[in-house]
Order: sequence, then structure tokens, then C-alpha cells
Amino acid sequence: MDGKIIVVTSGKGGVGKTTATASLGAALALEGNKVAVVDMDIGLRNLDVVMGLENRIVFNVVDAVKGNCKLKQAAIKDRRVENLYLIPASQSDNKDVLNPEEMVKFGKMLRRHFDIVLIDCPAGIERGFENSVVSADEALVICTPEVSAVRDADRVIGLLYARSITPKLIVNRIIPQMVENGDMLSHTDMVDVLSIELIGLVEMDDHVVISTNTGMPLVLQKNSKAGEAFRRIAMRLNGNTDVPIQVPQSQKSIFKKIRNKLGIGG
Amino acid sequence: MFNGLFRKFSGRNKDSKELAKKRLKFALIYDKLEVSDDIIKNLHKDIVEVISRYFEIDQEALELDIRRSSEDLSALVVNTPILSAKRKKDSL
Ligand SMILES: Nc1ncnc2c1ncn2[C@@H]1O[C@H](COP(=O)(O)OP(=O)(O)OP(=O)(O)O)[C@@H](O)[C@H]1O
Ligand SMILES: [Mg+2]
Repeated sequence: MDGKIIVVTSGKGGVGKTTATASLGAALALEGNKVAVVDMDIGLRNLDVVMGLENRIVFNVVDAVKGNCKLKQAAIKDRRVENLYLIPASQSDNKDVLNPEEMVKFGKMLRRHFDIVLIDCPAGIERGFENSVVSADEALVICTPEVSAVRDADRVIGLLYARSITPKLIVNRIIPQMVENGDMLSHTDMVDVLSIELIGLVEMDDHVVISTNTGMPLVLQKNSKAGEAFRRIAMRLNGNTDVPIQVPQSQKSIFKKIRNKLGIGG
Repeated sequence: MFNGLFRKFSGRNKDSKELAKKRLKFALIYDKLEVSDDIIKNLHKDIVEVISRYFEIDQEALELDIRRSSEDLSALVVNTPILSAKRKKDSL
């Protein structure tokens, strides 16, 4: 196999990297890819709980990189989603236990065993970031419509460019009503400021919290708008570039459109 | 429509996201060029002055922007609508 490694990064913390990694990993696996998601947030692991696999951890990514176990032993197979594997972070080490050279080697091994590898990058631009991007072929930058998040995203985009990686943008936690009122940066504003290609728009969605509570994949929840958005991003990553990007809309503007279509004033 | 009215009465005449976008653009310029607010303001003023010698421009509308032009090069982009060319008074 000659898989590709995609790093999910942001600069700023808490914008949705782990949510995106778990959701895209599941969606890509449901489309038939053999997928590994790797938690590189060493010392602060989270991807395991978001995926509901926290009680099955024996070995972790540090063990696998250091050769203390086989890759197979560190990769936990998801029982609900065929072809999806989690390589968890270790909770007791810190980010300096790994170095970029070992990560390049580890990346080569991952490519041999999986079609797609998603790397959940820690916040910040230090060693943990370095370790996460060093073996990546592609990058997804997650950003929320806030000044601080966009500024950090810009910094990270610059660092990725310096590594000859052209990242794509996912805007997360969009509140359509606020965008329509002019009180939240729209995705076009963000694309304009960041000069970067957009790959998806994910709105604020209670299902994200619910799915994290239960450990059930977001993309398996029927009525989740965020889940639907991640499924569409996965299709695009999978090469279906003609899947259109849907702009989240408020209930109000949807009703307005329906009223206009029916010819009822309002 | 009611939103617009509400904004007028509440003294907010601009969308807050417009302000966010403007602040962001400047923040990115400062970050990349590692220059201060004052320097950018002076640069802005000087550019307006120079262009105004040749063209009638809307001084408020002149925009400074930083674009990534290649992997490690940034470009300073000046964008201004030109209202008209100035007649050369001294050529009489
Ligand atoms: N689209 C969304 N709608 C609602 N809540 C969301 C959405 N995306 C993320 N969240 C919530 O935001 C919080 C942060 O998300 P997440 O943990 O994925 O971010 P992160 O970038 O991985 O954070 P960190 O930098 O700490 O690793 C979580 O509580 C998550 O449930
Ligand atoms: Mg995280």
C-alpha cells in the first residue's frame, strides 16, 4: 500500500481538530478506505474518548514509534466502523519524547499499512506541531470565524507553505444567524484574508457534544448537520471534487426562501 | 430590514464582522513585516500622498494588504480606486 498522510492542524487550541479527525476518519473508512487516525497530542490525549475507544488502550503511538510494540498492537480497531483504526497518544509522556526523524520513519511505515492516515495535531507551533507535520503529504487547517483563530491559522499556513504543503481550509463552528446579521466573519471573508482553498463549512451543532458524550461517531448520526458536512468533506478528500460546498443557513433564511418560492410574501 | 433599523437606533452603524476583518488584515501585516502600527500608518499616509500627486483618489478607500506570493515571499499590495487623473497645472 502507498497511503497518504493528512495532518489536521490549526495553531489555536479548541477549534475542532480532534472532532474533525474523528469524524473525517470515520467517514473516509465508511467509504471503503483503510484509515488510521493518530493522536499526536501526547500528554493530553482526547481522540480516544471522542471515538469511544478509551477503555481499549494497551499500547500507544510512543510505543509504536520507539519500537516497543508492533504497529498492529498499537492500532485499535473500531468495532462500529469497518476499516477504522486509532493509534492513541500516550498520556504520561510529553511532546519532547518524540523527534521529527523518528516521525518520518514512522510515517513511512504508516503509508505501507493504510490508505489514509489522519494526524490529530496538538495546538501550538512547537515540537508537537513539528512532529505532526514532518511526515504529512497534505494538511487541513481548521479555523473558527474569530479574529484570534484566523490569525493563528495564518501563521500555521505560512509554516506549512515553508514545508511545501498547500493546506486546505475547514471553517468550523459557524453560527449562520450571526453571519447573516454581519456579526460573524463569513467563510468568504476568511478565504479572502487567508488566501487558501476552502474544502468545507461546518456549523455549530449540538450533535457534536452529544456524540462526544456517547462516543458514537458523529457521521453516523442521522440528523447532524456537522456530521453531514464532515461526510461531504471526506468525499472531497476522496477525490470527488465536484461535491459542492454547502453554506450553512439559518432556519430563518431557509423559511424565507421557501416562502419566496411559494410566492407568499414575507 | 429591522436589523438595519435596530442598528441605527442602537448606534451601531457597521457590522462587527467588518471591523473584525479590518483588524485581522492589519494584524497579519504587523505579524509578517514585524513593524509597528505607527510605521504602517505613516506608510499608508505617504502612499496616499504620492499617489495623490498624480491621481484623484478616495483616500479612505485605499487598502494595504499582505499577500503570500510564493512559499516564503510576501507581497505588499496597495489597492485604490482612481477617480480621475490630475491635470498638470504647471504645464501651462
Ligand atoms: N461544529 C461544532 N459544534 C459544536 N461544538 C463543537 C463543534 N466543533 C467542536 N466543538 C466542541 O468544541 C470543543 C473543542 O473541540 P476539539 O476538542 O475538537 O478541538 P481541538 O482543536 O482538538 O482542541 P485542542 O486544541 O484542545 O486539541 C469540544 O468541546 C467540541 O465538542
Ligand atoms: Mg484536540
